[in-house]
Amino acid sequence: MTELPERIDLEAPLSGDFQAVVRLIIGGIAERVDFAFEEIDDLQLAVERLLAEAGQVGSVHMSFEVGEASIRTRVGPLSETAVADALRDGDAPPGQLTLRRILQTVVDSFGVEDAGGGAIVVRLEKLKGMP
Amino acid sequence: MSASQRRSAVSSEKAREEDRALLRRYHEGGDTTAREELIERHLPLVRSLARRYAGRGESLEDIEQVGAIGLIKAIDRFELEREVSLATYATPNVVGEIKRHFRDKGWAIRVPRALQELNASMSGAIERLTGRLGRSPSIAEIAEELKTTPEEVLEAMEVGSAYSTVSLSTGPGGDEELDPLETIGGEDEEFERSEDRAALEPALDRLPPREREILRMRFEEGLPQTQIAQRVGLSQMHVSRLIRKSLSIMREELLRLPPGAA
Repeated sequence: MTELPERIDLEAPLSGDFQAVVRLIIGGIAERVDFAFEEIDDLQLAVERLLAEAGQVGSVHMSFEVGEASIRTRVGPLSETAVADALRDGDAPPGQLTLRRILQTVVDSFGVEDAGGGAIVVRLEKLKGMP
Repeated sequence: MSASQRRSAVSSEKAREEDRALLRRYHEGGDTTAREELIERHLPLVRSLARRYAGRGESLEDIEQVGAIGLIKAIDRFELEREVSLATYATPNVVGEIKRHFRDKGWAIRVPRALQELNASMSGAIERLTGRLGRSPSIAEIAEELKTTPEEVLEAMEVGSAYSTVSLSTGPGGDEELDPLETIGGEDEEFERSEDRAALEPALDRLPPREREILRMRFEEGLPQTQIAQRVGLSQMHVSRLIRKSLSIMREELLRLPPGAA
């Protein structure tokens, strides 16, 4: 019998050509947890915005821990310092649309870990809503 | 000149004068309601130009949204000393924005017809299920409603939204149509701009009013897409696509703004 959580690791090129593929994979993973259409869309948007900040060169590692009613995602290491600063700062001022505000809206929790050399790993958690 | 031609000429001259009055209010008095009115008045022009580019792999609504960015740029850049009408000045801006969009996004992707049809029927299925279940449906429920597989639903979700997000590292280069302002700026200015990268706010007013309102409802009020869809009279899928597209456009615009304008 499989013990939860299950984990999926993905290394994807950062070039824009593969972003739709990453979305599709996230959709497939979230579908296994029976996420609603809107919840899948939220998680896809969160990862998409992070990848948009990560540049176009090289690749990025993503891992997805699949729980009974949640998906924990780790994206990184990311080397964009402005992203790290933005995510570590306090709440965005009212009326400002920042990456932090976007993540606060679309995932249930997120955090930043130092990955050494000025790079960071971003953790995202999305929970399945009540039916 | 026939009577109807005379009436049309008079009405077009009147519209031109009204445009100039609005442009003066905006550029000389900083009246942003005049700017909004100019955008609304010229959206039919954008729609008409956007239709020429329909059927090339992107939805008409998305092309219109990109064209509206060109219109807003034209309004912002218009110089009152110009003798041309706003419509004449805006047309190449709108067309240029649409062409650049197609070129940047590489819309050579051909989507299989079956997936296009599934995508077209998904919107209605989601609306029906949301009404019936009182919540956003799961992929399995959508698949059952449409008598297909969850994998095909997931693939169809990507149809029409298969544009690439714009990287922060994408800079000017290799684009012969770049505004000269976009290519100036030394190291310090570039650094300064990078500090603004995480804040999309400066590019927010480059979006059409409807998209701004949708982003405000989603990220300020925290409303779910289903409620936003009801308020603005669009499908949830359309709202989702507008949000994603708007965020990408804002990021793109932020990179194109001359240093210091952000």
